[in-house]
Amino acid sequence: MTIDEKAAKTLDELGLADSNGVGELFAEVRAAIECEVDSFRRREASDSDSACEAKTLRDRWLARGHGLIAQIDQNWLKATPKESRGMVGAEFNRLRQYATSQIDVDSLPGARKTTSAARGEAARGPDLTLPGNQRELGSIHPVTRVQRELEDIFIGLGFRIETGPEIESVYNNFDALNIPESHPSRDDWDTLYIDSTTLLRTHTSPVQIRAMRKHGAPLYIVTPGKCYRNENPDATHSAMFHQIEGLAVDTDITFADLKGTLDFFAKKFFGERTRTRFQPSFFPFTEPSGEMAASCPFCGGQGCRTCKESGWIELMGCGMVHPDVLRHGGIDPERYSGWAFGLGIERFAMLKYDIGEIQNFFQSDVRFLKQF
Amino acid sequence: MLGLGVASSIAAGADQVLDLEVTTNRPDCLGHLGVAREVAAAFEREFVRPVYSVRETGKSVHEAIKIGISDLEGCARYCGRVIENVEVRPSPEWMARRLEAVGVRPINNVADATNYVLMELGHPLHAFDLAHLRGARIDVRRARAGEKLQTLDGVDRELSKADLVIADAERAVALAGVMGGADSEITSATRHVMLESAWFEPVIVRRTAKRHALHTEASHRFERGMDIMMARGAVDRTAALIAELSGGQVLAGVVDVYPLRRIRSTIVLRSSEIRRILGTDVEGPEVIRDLTALGFSIEPGPEATWHVVPPSFRLDVEREVDLIEEVARLHGYDALPMRVRAAPPSAERDLGRERELEISSTLRALGYREIIVPSMVDPGENARFTDAEPVRLMNPLTEDASAMRSTAVPGMLRALRWNLDRGQTDLRFFESGKIYTTSARTSEGLPAEYRVLTLGATGLQRPASVHDTARPLDFFDLKGDLETLLAGFESGRPEFAAEDLRYHEPGSGGRYFANGEVLARFGQLHHELAREYKLRQPIYLAEIGLECLLGLNLRARHFRAIPRYPAVERDLSLLVPESVVYRQIEEAVSAVKLAELQGFRAVDRFAGRSLPAGHYSLLLRMVLQSPDRTLTGEEADAASRQIMAALEPLGIQLRGA
Repeated sequence: MTIDEKAAKTLDELGLADSNGVGELFAEVRAAIECEVDSFRRREASDSDSACEAKTLRDRWLARGHGLIAQIDQNWLKATPKESRGMVGAEFNRLRQYATSQIDVDSLPGARKTTSAARGEAARGPDLTLPGNQRELGSIHPVTRVQRELEDIFIGLGFRIETGPEIESVYNNFDALNIPESHPSRDDWDTLYIDSTTLLRTHTSPVQIRAMRKHGAPLYIVTPGKCYRNENPDATHSAMFHQIEGLAVDTDITFADLKGTLDFFAKKFFGERTRTRFQPSFFPFTEPSGEMAASCPFCGGQGCRTCKESGWIELMGCGMVHPDVLRHGGIDPERYSGWAFGLGIERFAMLKYDIGEIQNFFQSDVRFLKQF
Repeated sequence: MLGLGVASSIAAGADQVLDLEVTTNRPDCLGHLGVAREVAAAFEREFVRPVYSVRETGKSVHEAIKIGISDLEGCARYCGRVIENVEVRPSPEWMARRLEAVGVRPINNVADATNYVLMELGHPLHAFDLAHLRGARIDVRRARAGEKLQTLDGVDRELSKADLVIADAERAVALAGVMGGADSEITSATRHVMLESAWFEPVIVRRTAKRHALHTEASHRFERGMDIMMARGAVDRTAALIAELSGGQVLAGVVDVYPLRRIRSTIVLRSSEIRRILGTDVEGPEVIRDLTALGFSIEPGPEATWHVVPPSFRLDVEREVDLIEEVARLHGYDALPMRVRAAPPSAERDLGRERELEISSTLRALGYREIIVPSMVDPGENARFTDAEPVRLMNPLTEDASAMRSTAVPGMLRALRWNLDRGQTDLRFFESGKIYTTSARTSEGLPAEYRVLTLGATGLQRPASVHDTARPLDFFDLKGDLETLLAGFESGRPEFAAEDLRYHEPGSGGRYFANGEVLARFGQLHHELAREYKLRQPIYLAEIGLECLLGLNLRARHFRAIPRYPAVERDLSLLVPESVVYRQIEEAVSAVKLAELQGFRAVDRFAGRSLPAGHYSLLLRMVLQSPDRTLTGEEADAASRQIMAALEPLGIQLRGA
């Protein structure tokens, strides 16, 4: 039987009419008070709700009428015939003194605030200008933030996300993309090798090959992920970086779709007033190949430090998927055509947040992370 | 606009030096002539070639040198000229200035002439001291086993049988298309010059250059594919220049060994294909004008097609689509139309992405900051945390980044240390990345990759403020965060087991598993490791198998009618033997399967003076509720008794009972 249950009964009902065991009963109540106060104090040290709990504790024991002390007064003392009340009365007085001293709101540290606050309130109201009791949120890494933003734009266009392994076959990373070992274009990628047939992917393009083989055409995907290059780190280069590539393969896909969709994308990311410019370039896996630049988001194309006074920022490589690459993906290039792009997510994050050094992303400095 | 990016433009005297970015497919633009052709085509100007004439003496070149090609696979054409009685001396000022402007160091008038033509016409040449060509013979062949050659850079090279060499009657005198030999170098003593202008097979030059780790102006061009027709023009141009600068006499004629003529195939270009790829029509006259200006020959074919033969200097153009790129380039990419094209509608949801977003938003709400750390680690450090073999790199940048990690723990520790070293002491990080191992393979035979989520936490759970005192973070904060995270998924009731990993402080590690699979391992970092990493406060770490977690559905949402009758709370103040752990109590109470028991939790635990020795006190708060009535006190008591009956076998009593 709990203390609560016992307090609700008379001594008679508890089988203690003859005073035997009354001392133990009161000792048990005092032990319960000790236990609850002790527990409260320890919780108070760790819990923000202590003021509230202090009141709960006080009400539970000392509230007029329904508090446990009041119940014991009613059920044990007052219900006991006057002639045998003496010992119970003495025990009860000791208990009440003990309870008020232990559960005295002023002696409970958490409660003191309540009361001092309450007193202050009476005098001049609480100091509402104190800061709120905040809980600190975590943060999402800026590269992840930008990656999701880029993904979202393409998801809005109905593209799906595809991923693949970071440790790839040389074949998927190079040969299937029209970059044979015998051609100097392979030297454009400083590659980290595991062995002669395995490497750390230098771009997420092998995911395009995998997706073409797995899903066939039509195919509308973006492929975010980590890539690696054998490059010494500097302000804009890191051996590990993140790329996102896009691929659309369907009947009736033309260079106009490439230009229009990437222009739409640039406007969504950098703002509706962004203008884009396409220039010829060379990638073994696209033909025709291009580079897309956007009007500098910082100066609007007037020329500034970021765009090296040119008004334009190179954003990504792109092009129409080379027929041999479609073929390697198991897709008939006479029936289907496609466009693709690839961009570095860190570069976009650096542009978006005006970050000068790529190494900031990988140092995990909380003073950096807190800003996102 | 042409695809020749201008990296810089610097004034050099009266001239302007443009630094162009020439992509690997355009070796024809590795000289002024090719760039001029592009510019002329783009601006519709006349393309003017350099004018030169060779004044020959009466003596025939064939009297001075015999040239043969033994390896036609490696060398398709070899043109040789001989210039006699040269006076080797520094070049005149105009020549030196021009070479220096394009970054070439002037050497002497003969070498400078070859370099000048290299830059002008884009074709590499080599000048031999004829006196050092034994037998006055040239043969292009593969190197012999054990053959050696000291190249111009002074390095003695052991040749491979795959290396293509220029040899005299006895020995190799140059690495074909890569670098000349030291013996036959032009010196101030040279009187007669043998000038080479050849066409070497790109792949063979590339392999030789790679084998000897040599990258030269010549190999850079030959491996990209030179113009076989230019071999002849370049030798004439250079011979004329050498004669002009050195006072030598050019012998009559050219030894031009070109046994198998290379003919470019005709490519059919369909106007329908232009439209299919570019999304617009380009008018016939424009196609003809542009391709002609770029040096292509073009004839109309049947039914809106053209028959196009690419020039000898455009080995990159092999297919119809390559021609379409040329058309697009000259038309101007910016003049081509735009169309936004969305994918066909699909109702498919990306469940994986939803789950990932759930994880990161939960962790963010719990105060964790996302970090991204390098995948490449020091394999020795890695091995201290796991037995799984990391994936070693063949050509790492540095030893401490020479393997792909097979555990994410050291990366997290380094991130924590970075911040602790900088006075940032309250940290909660998560990292979602991969680990890699050769201890397992994928179905394709690649090293296995697993996605892992790593948590690291240290410092205060709550800082001191005007409202609250500070509280340090502990094991149960991390455990609670994991429980909160797992509660977002259909993880059933994930089971806990105490288990120390090798890097855990003894007795402070645990794991959660569901359906026999480990979802998470977590605990406090071993104090010795903490000391080594100079982490001067307790560190809590969790490793979560993401493949496993992302395989679970998000928590299914089902509506259950909100009870109409009030719940009753009952506290059981238990006296528990020290040997009994909470899990046993939890299991015993759950086993009762009381319909009215909505839940229960431990609200307090303490061991104190007033308790019998060997016991602790646990306050268990139960919530009792019935869907169809208000529970009476008697019913609540009965429930309490049932629970106590289930706990008694564990030696648990009600306090004070």
